[in-house]
Amino acid sequence: MVGDFAVGKTSLTQKFVNNAFSEKYLTTIGVKIDSVELADTKLIVWDVAGRDSLSPINSSYLVGAAGIILVADCTRPHTLIDLAELWEVVQQRIGNVPATIALNKCDLSDWKVDDALIQQYESRGWNCFPTSAKQGAGVSEIFESLHQKIR
Amino acid sequence: MNPDLQQYVNQHLVERLQIAYICVDKDMMVCDVSKNLKDYGYGDVTNGVNVEDYVEFMVGLDTSTALDLPFVTSPLGVPVSVSLLPEDGKLMIMIADASEHYEQRQQLQQKANENELLLAQQNKLMADLELASKELARNNKQLEEASRLQTSFFSGVSHEFRTPLASIIGYTELVSQKFDGDGQEKKHLRAIQRSSKHLLSLVENLLDHGKLDANEIFIQPKSILLNEVFDDVGIFLGPLANAKHISLKVQTDFPDHLMVTVDASRLRQCLINLVGNAIKFTDQGLVTLKAQWSNDLLEVVVQDTGMGISEDDLQKIRLPFWQAADTGKAGTGLGLTITERIINLLGGELKISSQIGKGTTVSFEFLAPLSISPETLPASKLSATAPISNTKEESQVSLAKDNTKKTGKDSKKYKGKKDCKVLLAEDDYDIAILVELMLEEKGVGVTHVENGDLAVKTLQDSEFDLVLMDINMPVMSGYEAIKVIREQGNLTPIIIMSASALDSDREKAMKCGSDGYLVKPVELSELIAMTREIVSKTSV
Repeated sequence: MVGDFAVGKTSLTQKFVNNAFSEKYLTTIGVKIDSVELADTKLIVWDVAGRDSLSPINSSYLVGAAGIILVADCTRPHTLIDLAELWEVVQQRIGNVPATIALNKCDLSDWKVDDALIQQYESRGWNCFPTSAKQGAGVSEIFESLHQKIR
Repeated sequence: MNPDLQQYVNQHLVERLQIAYICVDKDMMVCDVSKNLKDYGYGDVTNGVNVEDYVEFMVGLDTSTALDLPFVTSPLGVPVSVSLLPEDGKLMIMIADASEHYEQRQQLQQKANENELLLAQQNKLMADLELASKELARNNKQLEEASRLQTSFFSGVSHEFRTPLASIIGYTELVSQKFDGDGQEKKHLRAIQRSSKHLLSLVENLLDHGKLDANEIFIQPKSILLNEVFDDVGIFLGPLANAKHISLKVQTDFPDHLMVTVDASRLRQCLINLVGNAIKFTDQGLVTLKAQWSNDLLEVVVQDTGMGISEDDLQKIRLPFWQAADTGKAGTGLGLTITERIINLLGGELKISSQIGKGTTVSFEFLAPLSISPETLPASKLSATAPISNTKEESQVSLAKDNTKKTGKDSKKYKGKKDCKVLLAEDDYDIAILVELMLEEKGVGVTHVENGDLAVKTLQDSEFDLVLMDINMPVMSGYEAIKVIREQGNLTPIIIMSASALDSDREKAMKCGSDGYLVKPVELSELIAMTREIVSKTSV
């Protein structure tokens, strides 16, 4: 799970793995590792600390990843734009791996996406899903989509 | 490694710093583990097992990978740091407690991120605020435009109504003069006059109401002789009281020649409305208008001995368009609302008290600063003003006070030397004929032209004592015509007769070089009074 801080990486993971959601924001330090059985596959989810103004993403946490879920908070438009930069870090460290994009917080009224940017991301082969960790919308779809690509 | 050194490392790193380790071979099979692995939740890891089956963070990695993972949450939920050290085809996995460092980092990062989120939220709110502010400004503009259109609509409607009403009122007056006595025809004509004038007052009230809503009524205080305003009320409303056989008393408690700074026309409008109401709702007895002025404060009280207002109705009386159901008196229900709003604009507050069957008292006070004290007024000014008694029974005031009667039919009184010649520029045929008839009745010679251009040309060929000019005319408007006339150096007095009662039109007319402004339907007495005033000024 890769993205800027507070975009909802932990919330999406917890919703998918434990069907749990908390409104309280608790920033992730380093990585939290969870696993879940999906069909015949055991997915090990690395919920990596978000990029923030104090520190860039630590690419060590990306090593060994079979796929990436890029997460953006679409009530903060720059977090969607930032995915391109984050992808550069991913690519430099582990090369081209399958990826999908979670356009998170779609339950909020000020959620909006730049259609041109989405088109650009989709042209890279990334499926984009509006998601809401709070309401569960799109959560399993995003993991299942990535799972399909990894298999 | 030197055995002593090995022992030292074991002692310091493994025991004191509580570092746990797993050593795997090239196939990721565990070949050595520290005893304290269980402290981090990896107690199941034993020699001979595949590390990927027991240590999730090892899935996908290989033995050649050197890696430092500063904070990984262990199966027990304890943050640990993990170092992968490849050596001789084997991989040493070092695991250490990172709780303390993690806590510090977590707190720092949490604050930094929360601050940044707050900042982003703040920026967003500012942007929203800016948007809302722009939206508000746009809405305000639209509202202003709507309000302007409304005023313009009221003004237009008022204009459209005034012109035919002017004809109806004027012609009725002319026809009425042909009938002597109190016959049926005279009664019918009076009914037409009453209805027309009522219709006119409805139009005027609607216009004022619209202007008040659009904040387009401006108070224009000027230095005036205060007594004149109260005198006017007596003159205007005395006949109405007379007709109802009730008394109207105007009592003023200030010097006759007191000059104060006040918007006389708006004050007069309020007084006429309040006293008019009092007369309307009083069938017997007395209506008193009392005014007192001291220390720049003007206090006005209107008292009547009329039917009074119930407590319930007193709550509703100030609402626009409200009328008491059982009085049987016609009206728009706007008069009091307008009066109250104008009094507020003047800086006062309208107070109403009433008792059913005993009458009503309305009062207000506002600042009317002294402009010229009677002591400093020049003697000539004093002598030029007609003395007015402080207490008058206006119902007994003879109509001889009316300027119409004073001026009489002899036009020579305007100039005192020769017959008066008036040029009338008016495109409405009915109005033109009416004014001609009214003026010729008084011995005034009228030349009628149908537009501003003809007025300009006629003035170039002939001399006139006065020009009566309509505004909205084809070919050339009244404003343009006046401009041309003045540019040609012609100083003949010009009175504008317009159907617009808007203050802005009145101001525009006065600025363009006219000498007077009358609103249609023009009363003959008004026209004659203004003509007299202007002609006498110019003939001095």
